Amino acid sequence: MDGSDSRRRTRWVGIVSLAVARLWRRAMHTRSGRIAATVTVVAVTIGLLVTVTGVSLALADGGAVSDDDGDITVTPAESATLSAVDGVEGPRLGDTNARTETIADADGVDHASPVLVEPGQLEAATEGEERRTVLLVGVVPDDEPRTVAGLPTDDLEPGDSHYGDGSYDGPPNGEIVLSAAAADRLEAEEGDELAVPAMEGATGSGDVSLTVAAVDDASDDETPVALVHLSELQSVGGAADGQLADRVVVWGDDDAASAAASEAYPDAAVDSGATANPASLFDDGLAFAASLLALLVGVVICTSFVATTAGMTVEDDRQSLAVLESVGIEQRGRLAIVAISTLVTTICGAVVGIVLGFAGIYAVNAVAGATIAPGLVAHSHPAFVPYALVVAVLSGLIAMPYPLVLAAKTSVLEEVSR
Amino acid sequence: MINRLLGLSGRSASRTSDEEGETPAVRLGSVTHEYGATGARFGSGRERTVTALDDVSLEVQSGETVGLQGPSGSGKSTVLHAVAGLLVPTDGSIELLESDLSALSARARTRVRRRHVGIVFQRFHLLPSLSARANVALPLVQEGVPTSTRRERATALLEEVGLGDRATHLPSELSGGERQRVALARALAGDPDVLVADEPTGELDTDTGANVLELLTSVGRDRAVLVASHDDDTLSVADRVVTLRDGRVIDDGR
Repeated sequence: MDGSDSRRRTRWVGIVSLAVARLWRRAMHTRSGRIAATVTVVAVTIGLLVTVTGVSLALADGGAVSDDDGDITVTPAESATLSAVDGVEGPRLGDTNARTETIADADGVDHASPVLVEPGQLEAATEGEERRTVLLVGVVPDDEPRTVAGLPTDDLEPGDSHYGDGSYDGPPNGEIVLSAAAADRLEAEEGDELAVPAMEGATGSGDVSLTVAAVDDASDDETPVALVHLSELQSVGGAADGQLADRVVVWGDDDAASAAASEAYPDAAVDSGATANPASLFDDGLAFAASLLALLVGVVICTSFVATTAGMTVEDDRQSLAVLESVGIEQRGRLAIVAISTLVTTICGAVVGIVLGFAGIYAVNAVAGATIAPGLVAHSHPAFVPYALVVAVLSGLIAMPYPLVLAAKTSVLEEVSR
Repeated sequence: MINRLLGLSGRSASRTSDEEGETPAVRLGSVTHEYGATGARFGSGRERTVTALDDVSLEVQSGETVGLQGPSGSGKSTVLHAVAGLLVPTDGSIELLESDLSALSARARTRVRRRHVGIVFQRFHLLPSLSARANVALPLVQEGVPTSTRRERATALLEEVGLGDRATHLPSELSGGERQRVALARALAGDPDVLVADEPTGELDTDTGANVLELLTSVGRDRAVLVASHDDDTLSVADRVVTLRDGRVIDDGR
């Protein structure tokens, strides 16, 4: 690096330091209501963005029932059907029992299971008990410790005896594993008998009786979830025809599992098994629309406010800008000081907003859990941090031309003559 | 003394030249400046202009202190602003160390000002959010002077003006006289060849003003200094006093 490069670098370090030092002093040593107002508005906007995105993610992700520990998840490819919030059932995978066996037999795959989720009204087998709704999750367990919908599958008898190679006439296991929330709701404990009334389209012989094989007290999710054998839920839930399931979860080597899943379901979405994947936002129309709306509103509000307050700050700061010019700071340097001040203020707001956003997600879950919803209605994700920062920086950059134009128009003579 | 502290070499060449009597540090040649030439129009549709300087010619040698006097609106400040390159006159030439300022771009004028001109304003114009030391170091930022060197130079200059113990104070924590001394130290940060001071004691009481003038005289000994003032005490430090009226030089003090 030659001398001029070194001097240029030192100059820009000096200008950045000058901008940050001025901002810091103004924030700390003066009653800088404008800086506080900018940080607050950006923070609130970014906080709302993060919270709404968290709600959208939960909407797309399906909540606790998708809390699996599988390595690969196969879901139906994106369709035009909106979320089930409006009562329209989402798309499902077909022929899952047979194709999943094919996946499970592939090299490098430890196990694979279709997962069917149906809300079911259960009642205690004793007379007079009122029916209560829980989310029934059908799986094909093996004897390894795995988790589907946040519950351990190995509490169920391995295999799926009722399936009987597609005839659904094998002996049912009649077992159910309850989450703590489900056990509370049903007032049931291990060994109790529960009745599941046949649902519309059921192929079985009517009500099914299940024995509580275990209650998972370790589950702290407030969604009432229960694991049952897949084929028994398919029969009672009307999903036996076509061997329907919501997803297929695969355990094993990622590459091998992914290849086997893609071969079995070439038109389906094959994702890594991480829960609450932000990419799932793109797969759900309503969730995507909500998060996109939050993004647009966030950018517009952030941009408008940052532009306005930064412009007002420049108006107040014209004399200082004129002094900088009078002592020989060139226009590029002066504009850089304005730009850095604006961006730093925006990023400070974003950092506070991220904290607010995560607090908002916690608060939304707490309020929803205490009132209307049994489980999490908003998810947090580490990706929200860079996402919020990028949105804030983008807003700051969009807002930037306004204060820069005002700063460039400052008349040094007018200001120093005052 | 400050020059030695700064260790800047940029001024020595021009000073040698000036000592040989070849070239004045500042030369204004028939400078005319009109305000409002592109400004507001009045009801009659005619454009109204105000002539701030009218055919002003002036030379200032290195080591010479020139006072500018005259009533308000006579053009004293405009002369200083023109010499500092803060305005480009409507007509005429301004040579600063043989550079024709009026022929330079805005960026080049800023560079010339940074390297060769120190400005002291009546109202100090310190940045309120920066400490005294940071204010003094400001002109060195654009030059790419490393932080540690900037701090050393600013501290030395503050000590030179008797404010070594006020380096970390904000302007709001300083008295008027102290602020003007900080402003003077800032004007000297780039070791300028030319120092312009616009009513440097205008906001100060008599005793404080006298202290600042003493300091100005001391640091201006080997520089070209232009001081604009209404005050006879302030002008008494000048080697000659130029009188302006209605933008014209009516007495160049020779």
